[in-house]
Amino acid sequence: MSTYSDASGAIMPLPKARRATGFGGVVPALAFVAIFFIAPVAVLLLRSVLEPVPGFGNYAQLIGSATYLKIFANTFIVSGLVTVISLLIGFPVAWALAIMPGRLTSVIFAILLLSMWTNLLARTYAWMVLLQRTGLINKMLIGMGLIDKPLALVNNLTGVTIGMTYIMLPFIILPLYGVIKKIDPSTLQAAALCGANRWQCLTRVLLPLAMPGMAAGALMVFVMSLGYFVTPSLLGGTANMMLAELIAQFVQSLVNWGMGGAAALVLLVVTLSLYTVQLRFFGNQNPGGR
Amino acid sequence: MLLNFDRLGWWKYALLGITLLTAAFLLMPIVFIAALSFGSSQWLIFPPPGWTLQWYGELFADPRWLESALTSLKIAVIVTVLSVLLGLVTSFGLVRGSFMFRDALKALFLTPMILPVVVLAVALYAFFLRIGLGGTLTGFVISHLVLALPFSILSISSALEGFDKSIEDAAVLCGASPLEAKIRVTLPAISHGLFSAAVFSFLTSWDEVVVAIFMSSPTLQTLPVKVWATLRQDLTPVVAAASTLLILLTIILMALVAVVRKVLKQ
Repeated sequence: MSTYSDASGAIMPLPKARRATGFGGVVPALAFVAIFFIAPVAVLLLRSVLEPVPGFGNYAQLIGSATYLKIFANTFIVSGLVTVISLLIGFPVAWALAIMPGRLTSVIFAILLLSMWTNLLARTYAWMVLLQRTGLINKMLIGMGLIDKPLALVNNLTGVTIGMTYIMLPFIILPLYGVIKKIDPSTLQAAALCGANRWQCLTRVLLPLAMPGMAAGALMVFVMSLGYFVTPSLLGGTANMMLAELIAQFVQSLVNWGMGGAAALVLLVVTLSLYTVQLRFFGNQNPGGR
Repeated sequence: MLLNFDRLGWWKYALLGITLLTAAFLLMPIVFIAALSFGSSQWLIFPPPGWTLQWYGELFADPRWLESALTSLKIAVIVTVLSVLLGLVTSFGLVRGSFMFRDALKALFLTPMILPVVVLAVALYAFFLRIGLGGTLTGFVISHLVLALPFSILSISSALEGFDKSIEDAAVLCGASPLEAKIRVTLPAISHGLFSAAVFSFLTSWDEVVVAIFMSSPTLQTLPVKVWATLRQDLTPVVAAASTLLILLTIILMALVAVVRKVLKQ
């Protein structure tokens, strides 16, 4: 940053052409990201059209097989369900947090953050145990007389949906809280003065005003769910694979880099296009996904 | 009236109920794991028939658990240092610099946050196989740094954006060299950003599973990889003990963040 001496810039004449300053600072990170992020991902994607033979054979195989199509379907169905349930639970919670007075709010915020930052494996392990046939959830349901035989809650998509919703809830509650907090209460007072009842206020004022936040949060949860690996593979079992696990399996057990690359590209394209939609319509919000 | 808690009528109780249930739902697995780790049942029966420290004993008696915890710690510390240093230099360039594609570059640096981690894991796995970094400490550090760096750049740039540069300029006018002004004026002023960068980087590396699964070798694995490998075989309460320690570390770090934030505010 040798050109950085703006303190004297007031006295010195302005340079004739605008020079690039500060670029030196980003060079190390740029080199690092280029070598260890862009290049490896690019090579992986290239291998999808080069291996085992050049062409789009891998993609044809991916689309042509019922097994793989079922995995795509699983991935989208679970992600969609997780998104809808998170939204249904998350909206009232975010609403309550935005207007609730006192100490309770900060306690709930602490719980939200704690659950967000607690090791993913620890939380997934907890659900593996809780959802077992002999687990606490089944015992409670039987104890309350709701069921007589234990339900199969784990090693299937039900387990994945429960575990993933658990993980995604904070990611939808926090942005929604921000959106609802910003809504001007006087808009609702105005609606009430004009004769709207509570239900009309909710469906015709509050929900529409919160809609951009809900859409952005839902899109984010959906995209993050699509790429999740750990929770689906531990709670889902081998019969109900999702896309991320398929990629891992192509590479680790089958050593099929072409197919692995092709499946990775599909995931990447869907992810990046949905993020572009989000950036375009709702601006930036960005925690990452595991 | 919908945004006034006291005037919600019976809706108030519905909202409160859902919120408390959700909070309980979020807290339940964490409390449950901690309770199980002290329970005497090998079959993870809850409530446990008795209490014991047996699983912690087994955890600490097995050198492989300890070794993987130390590996995790070592990697996380190296990643934290590198991530903060690289994040600092990069943020100065991004915030203070003016060059073509600056915003595009910033977006590029943040991309690893949104990319599905499995794609990065598989890509780096292939790359490291070829250049001989698979299963090495260097491989772990590099791959964790790819994921940690965006958090660093984000925290430090936003702190730097909030810092009035004329204060640094004033120090230079008073006779400090530009570097001295940066170290003695600017760095302390953005210390909260540096601190968040360090905490986020540490936790990103410490908790990382997906990339680590692909980076590990039979002789070198991090704690999450060890947990993962154990979980695939059985649900032993030793994992509950290991998980409880992981959760404890998270709580300590969160408390530390809260305390430091408070101190820095004063």
